[in-house]
Amino acid sequence: MSPAPSKNYTDDVSLLVVTLDTNPFFWSDFPSHFSDFLSQVLAFLNSILLLGQLNQVVVIATGCNSCSYVYDSSSNKNHASTNGTMPALYSNLLHNLDEFIAKDKQLTTAHEPGNVPSSLLSGSLSKALCYIQRAFRSGPMHPQPRILCLQGSPDGPEQYVAIMNAIFSAQRSSVPVDSCYIASSNSSNSAFLQQASYITGGIYYKPPQLDGLFQYLSAVFATDLHSRAFLRLPKSLGVDFRASCFCHKKTIDTGYVCSVCLSIFCEHHDKCSTCSSVFGQAQSVAASTDNRKRKAE
Amino acid sequence: MPEVRIIAKNFMDMVASMPAMKLDKLYENGFICEAILRSLPPLAKKYVLQLLHIDQPVLARLFAEWVLPDGLSKHKVAIDRLLQLRLFVEALDSRKNEKTYKVNPTYQRSLQQLLVHGGTLPRESMPSNITVRLPTLEDLETYALEQWECFLLQLISPSHADKTLNISSSLMKVFQRRLLSQRDREAPKLTESGFQFLLMDTNAQLWYIIREYISNSEERGVDAGDLISFMLELSFHAIGEAYNINTLTDFQRNIIKDLADLGLVKLQQGRKESWFIPTKLATNLSVSFTESSSRKEGFVVVETNFRVYAYSTSKLHCEILRLFSRVEYQLPNLIVGAITKETLYNAFDNGITADQIVSFLRQNAHPRVAQRIPAVPDNVTDQIRLWESDINRVEMTEAYYYDEFPSRDVFEGACDCAREWNGLLWEDSKKMHLVVKSEVHSYVRDFLRRQK
Repeated sequence: MSPAPSKNYTDDVSLLVVTLDTNPFFWSDFPSHFSDFLSQVLAFLNSILLLGQLNQVVVIATGCNSCSYVYDSSSNKNHASTNGTMPALYSNLLHNLDEFIAKDKQLTTAHEPGNVPSSLLSGSLSKALCYIQRAFRSGPMHPQPRILCLQGSPDGPEQYVAIMNAIFSAQRSSVPVDSCYIASSNSSNSAFLQQASYITGGIYYKPPQLDGLFQYLSAVFATDLHSRAFLRLPKSLGVDFRASCFCHKKTIDTGYVCSVCLSIFCEHHDKCSTCSSVFGQAQSVAASTDNRKRKAE
Repeated sequence: MPEVRIIAKNFMDMVASMPAMKLDKLYENGFICEAILRSLPPLAKKYVLQLLHIDQPVLARLFAEWVLPDGLSKHKVAIDRLLQLRLFVEALDSRKNEKTYKVNPTYQRSLQQLLVHGGTLPRESMPSNITVRLPTLEDLETYALEQWECFLLQLISPSHADKTLNISSSLMKVFQRRLLSQRDREAPKLTESGFQFLLMDTNAQLWYIIREYISNSEERGVDAGDLISFMLELSFHAIGEAYNINTLTDFQRNIIKDLADLGLVKLQQGRKESWFIPTKLATNLSVSFTESSSRKEGFVVVETNFRVYAYSTSKLHCEILRLFSRVEYQLPNLIVGAITKETLYNAFDNGITADQIVSFLRQNAHPRVAQRIPAVPDNVTDQIRLWESDINRVEMTEAYYYDEFPSRDVFEGACDCAREWNGLLWEDSKKMHLVVKSEVHSYVRDFLRRQK
């Protein structure tokens, strides 16, 4: 771990790392267009940069099979390509995003129709954290970092462990993870993002409609960490704390937990697959059937 | 004690003091809107952004509801600032009879435009095949600082300066107006504010000079609004890029010459064309103070035995250290001094406060010690403050003394009258003596007259 940051600029200078969900399977099923969404997000990113000269924005695209940095406001390349018609931010980001989507497409493997595959959120979260760690070490002065996940596609239970690890690492370096979950149906929520925001002290918000996305983004997620201390921001109504089991990557309500390494399983095993501890030697058979019954509910 | 302090007011205070008509004209320029947005307190920035796309007036009550009870003071500061700069227009909702706020329409339009389409500077940087031998960023920064130091040295002691700048002596007089006092046939002496000026960080100094420059502009027949908008525009140019001087108007060309002398831009001449290169000082113009104040690399090490080591070759630094310490010896790149009671008393006599000295030492702390907390040893800062409070043991208040009251009733009435005006300093009810603050004297006198 890097030593605790001792000096900052003024309190409201922020480094915002945005993970942008580009999952084509999700967007093709979604009622509103990716381009509408993107144009609102771009205006939001621009407004963050507008708020302060030292503010920094990094965008990471989250695809189906890969993730990549698509924009970094601090890199020098940005100044070169201003062509007058479009701000450098937009042209750079769009160019990189195009390249990324093409690359991600090549990696795509076949999947069952009707079932939207999840995006690689764990990957982009880790990349975001790596970037932030670099910012921490860059010198005595660095902006206050935070992560904003713009996510639409459903959670991928197979990424559970990786995402949880990323969340805890964010918590340890006190980086809040804000999440803006975009979904057409009102009932669905992302358990991963809810947990991420809950644990790291970020904001989880699901805009009720996408037409005014910019307004939601600028009202809720543009708030710098300093101002959050004295503003009323959306509070989460409840967090889905369910875990995924390590054996089948399913989200479960009740399960078995290894007493040694706390790995979670959906069914009884004789031996822990993570730490190889042997279970149940002293237990009677009756007790274990009892357990199984409880789990079955 | 009279408080004569240079308040390092920033650009935005100046902007705020402009008449509404001129403000609206300024807000037509997207860059000015951006600079102003950046200068706002964090909460105010958020309000602007939140209301940017809302055309209807919003009830003031709603704003207060967004804020937690702890943040109410900040909320008030933010709203006041927004109203002061005329970014928010206050109105009364006729139906509900409540206050409403709305973003200034001109400002709103410009900022929306900037947000969606981005801003383009009125001039583009020149291609590199025309501009040969552009300085590197480091060179440019040293150039800017050198130029600035040279300017400062000339400002405070014209005889010491190695090279003279082309700043007209009349302009120099304007800058010196409040920093130096000159009696007939005597060398000019730094005034109290002059000493304070030297201890401020570069950016604050720059603001001070620019402020004088602008407030003096009307006398020189230059419109302050044009000047402000040009300077703010300048601050958005990229550092180290060359911009053709022909793109400037005549008026701007005159200004840029002055700015070059201050180190804000570097002028260069090619075979045919000439161009200017903005330095860091120029781009810092639109940044508020606090953000950039501590980014400069420091050079001072203070030890617990009150010794000051300054790794610097600059004459200016030496002069500044001399203000509050005894410079013992000087090596080519090192100035060694000691902070003593005598030197500090000297400094306090000159109107420098302990806080200014401490903050100067902190801000200019050498990188090695800047990482430590505290950067300046506690015993030194405490002692500096103690010595300061030594001087201010007695507080003077102008007062009036009354005695020989005709009766106890009149005396007590006078006491009550003074108390009512919050000006009673001392009373002796046995001997019937009374001392009141001088502001209250007239009321007490009136009271006593009425008694007769």
